[in-house]
Amino acid sequence: MSRRPNISTSMLAAVAAAAWLSIVELPDLWRSPVWGMGLLVGMSFIYAGVVAWRGHPHNRVGPLMVALGVAWIPQQFKFALGEQHGALDLLDLGVGLWAGVACHLFLAFPTGRLDGLPARIVVGIAYAESLCIPGASVFAELWPEEPWHTIVTFVDRTSWGLIIAEGVAVIGLAAVRWLEGTAAQRRAVTPVVAASMVATMAFMADRVLNVCDIVALGFPADSLFGAFVGVPIAYLGSMMRGRIDRGRVADLVVRLRGRRQRDGLESALAATLKDPTLKVAYWMADQGRYVDADGNPVTLPPPQGSGRVMTRVDQGEARLAVLLHDAALLEQPLLVDAACAAAALALENERLTADLRARVRQLAASRARMLQWGEAERRRIERDLHDGVQQRLLSVAMTLGLAEATTDPARAGALVGEAKYAVLGALDDLRAVSHGIHPPVLTERGLPGAVKELAAVAPVPVECVIEMAGPLPQAVESAAYYIVNEGLANVTKHAGASRAWVRLARGTGRFVVEIGDDGRGGADPDLGSGLEGLNHRAEANGGRLTLVSPPGRGTVIMVELPCE
Amino acid sequence: MRVAICEDSALFREGMTRLLAEAGYQVVTAVDDAEKLLASVAANPPDVAILDIRLPPTHTDEGLRAALTLRRRHPEVGVLVLSQYVRVSYAVELLEGGVEGIGYLLKDRVSDLAEFAAAIRRVGSGGSALDPVVVERLVSRHSQPDDPLSRLTGRERDVLRLMAEGRTNLAISERLAIAERTVEKHCTSIFGKLGLTAGPHDHRRVLAVLRYLNA
Repeated sequence: MSRRPNISTSMLAAVAAAAWLSIVELPDLWRSPVWGMGLLVGMSFIYAGVVAWRGHPHNRVGPLMVALGVAWIPQQFKFALGEQHGALDLLDLGVGLWAGVACHLFLAFPTGRLDGLPARIVVGIAYAESLCIPGASVFAELWPEEPWHTIVTFVDRTSWGLIIAEGVAVIGLAAVRWLEGTAAQRRAVTPVVAASMVATMAFMADRVLNVCDIVALGFPADSLFGAFVGVPIAYLGSMMRGRIDRGRVADLVVRLRGRRQRDGLESALAATLKDPTLKVAYWMADQGRYVDADGNPVTLPPPQGSGRVMTRVDQGEARLAVLLHDAALLEQPLLVDAACAAAALALENERLTADLRARVRQLAASRARMLQWGEAERRRIERDLHDGVQQRLLSVAMTLGLAEATTDPARAGALVGEAKYAVLGALDDLRAVSHGIHPPVLTERGLPGAVKELAAVAPVPVECVIEMAGPLPQAVESAAYYIVNEGLANVTKHAGASRAWVRLARGTGRFVVEIGDDGRGGADPDLGSGLEGLNHRAEANGGRLTLVSPPGRGTVIMVELPCE
Repeated sequence: MRVAICEDSALFREGMTRLLAEAGYQVVTAVDDAEKLLASVAANPPDVAILDIRLPPTHTDEGLRAALTLRRRHPEVGVLVLSQYVRVSYAVELLEGGVEGIGYLLKDRVSDLAEFAAAIRRVGSGGSALDPVVVERLVSRHSQPDDPLSRLTGRERDVLRLMAEGRTNLAISERLAIAERTVEKHCTSIFGKLGLTAGPHDHRRVLAVLRYLNA
C-alpha cells in the first residue's frame, strides 16, 4: 500500500523540480510563451507517460508517451536557442522525430499495439517523414551543390503534402478504430482520441500555413503546443475518471446501508456500475438454479451473442449470485470486482431472503396443489362409494328380498346366487377404493415389500436395491411408494426398456429414491405429465427431483426426500 | 381332513368354521393370532392350516410370516393363506420353498364352497392353489408382442392359467369341458412353445410354469 504513492509522489516532485530548475536556472531562455508551452508539452508527456507506464507496465502507451517527451527535447532546444545557434546544427536531424512518435502513440492508443497492416504502414511512413523532412534541410545546407540542392529543395517543398496525407491517414484510422469499439470502450478512450485528433489537425494546419508562407494567417505555435498538451491531460483526466468510478463504490456501501426496498440492491448496483439493465440472480444451491429477489427462477443468457454477460459473485468457495449486465462492463473489471466485494454481504443477505421467498412460493404452490388434490380425492372416494359399493349392496338387499318373497325354491336359489355375485362385486369395489386411499401392501410390508410388489407386477424385469434399515416416517414412505409407482409406470409406458431398477437408500437427513432403466432416454420434464406429477410429488414433500436422460442411454430419475 | 383356522375377525372365523364343517372338514382349532396357531400346530398338526395375512398385534404381515415359519417347521402341514388383497410378491415368497402343500387365495373364494373345498383338499394333499388374480397378473406381464406367450392359442392360455392355479389335468378338463387327453396335448404344446422341460404329469410342472411367468 505504501510503495506506490511514494514513488508517484517522488516522480511528481522530480518533475516539479525540473520545472522549477528550468524556470529559475535558465531565466535567459525564457523568451516567449511558445517556449513555456513547449516545456509544458514535454513535461506533461513525460509525466503522463510515467504514470501510464507504472499503472500498466505491459502496455506500450506509457513508454510511447515518455519517448514522445524525450523526442520533444531537440525541438525544445531549437526554440530555446532559437536564432542564437548557427547555420548548421546536428540537433536539427532529430528535431521532427517527435511527430513520428506522436503518430505511433495516437494509433497505438489505448492497447499500445498497432493492429493491422495499414496502421503499421502509416506509422512507418510517419517515422520516415519525421526523420527525412527536417533532414532534407540539413543536407541542403551540407551539400549546397547540385543535384542535392534540387532534390532537397523538392522534398522540402512537397513535404506539406506528405504531411497532410499522413495526418488524414492517422485521423481516419483512429476514427475507424473508435467506431469499432463498444460503448464502454468509447467512453474510456474518447477524451484521448479526441485530443489526438485535434493535435493532428493542428499540426497539419501549422505545416500547411508554414510551407505556404501565409504569414497573415500565421498559425501561432502556442496554439499547436496547446493542442498537444491536450493529449496527456486527456489521458490523466480519463485515469481520474476511473478513480472517480471506483469512488462510486464507496457511495454504494453507504447506499446499501440505507436500503429499504426489495430491489434496492439491484438498483444500487445498477447505479454504481452505470448499467440500468443490470439484474442480480441469486444461487439456490439446493435447487440448483438461480432466482431473482422475489424467488422466481431466472433464465441465464447464452454465453455468446446476446450482448449480456454474467459475472459470478462468490464468497470463498461458495456461489453467491450472478450479475447479468451489459457486455460493456467487461471493460471495467476492477470496478465490477470492487462493487461486488462491497455488495457481497448484502448479496448474501439478499440471497438468503430470495431463498426464503422461493421456498415460501414453492410451499404455497404445493400446499394449494395438495389441498386441491385432497379435495378431489375425497370427492372421488365419495363418488366411488356412492356409485359402486352402495348401489351393489342396495341391489343385494333387493335380490335377497325377492328370494325371501318367492315360494319357488329353485328361483330363490338363483336369486341368492345373484346376490352373492353382487356382494363379491361390492368387495372388489371396496378393495379398489381402499387401495386408492392407502396402498394395503404398504401397511402390510412397509416400503421395501411394497416396492417389491410393484417390481413383481411390472412388465419389465425390475431389480430392487434396498439400502435401508428401520421404519421410515409414514409420509416419506407413502411419497416414496407413489414415486416408485409412477416412475415404473413411466418406464412401462415410455422408456421401451428391457430392464429397470429401483434403488432406495437412506442417507443423513434424506431418503433417496432412484428409478432407472436402459430404455430410449431423452425424457423431457416439460413434455411428460408423468414427470411433472413426479416433480410435484417430490416438491410437495420438500424433496427434489433430478432427471438424467441422455437420448438412447436410458433414464435415471432420482428423488431426494427430506427424512430425519 | 383336519383343518386349523387362524383369523382375527370373529365374524369371518366363525363363518368359515361353519362353512368348513358343512363341507365335511374337521376344524381342530380356530384361533385369532399367529402365535396361538404355531403352538396349536406344533401340539396337534392338522392337514391344512388356513390363515389370514393381517393378524394381531400389528395387523401387517404376521400371517405371511407365520405361513413361512409353518412351511419351515412343519413341511408336512399344508398352508393356505387367505387375504383381502392378493399380491404377486407374496405369492413368489410363499412359493420360494416349493409348490407342495401351499395355497394363496383371495378371501372372496370362500363364497364358492365347492371350489374352496377343492383348493383346501389340494393343499392338504401336497398340491397347490394359487388365486386366479395372481396368475392373471403374472400372465399380463408377458403382454409384449415378441413374448413366447403370445404364440399360445386361446385355449392353451386357458390351460396355462388353470395349471398355474395348481389344478390337476382332470380338474382342468372338467373346468374347460374337454377330454383329459386334450388337456395333456395342450400341456405338451405349451411346454414346447415356452421351451420348458418339466414333464406334463410331473407335479413340478406348476413350479416350472410359475417360474416362467415370474421370470
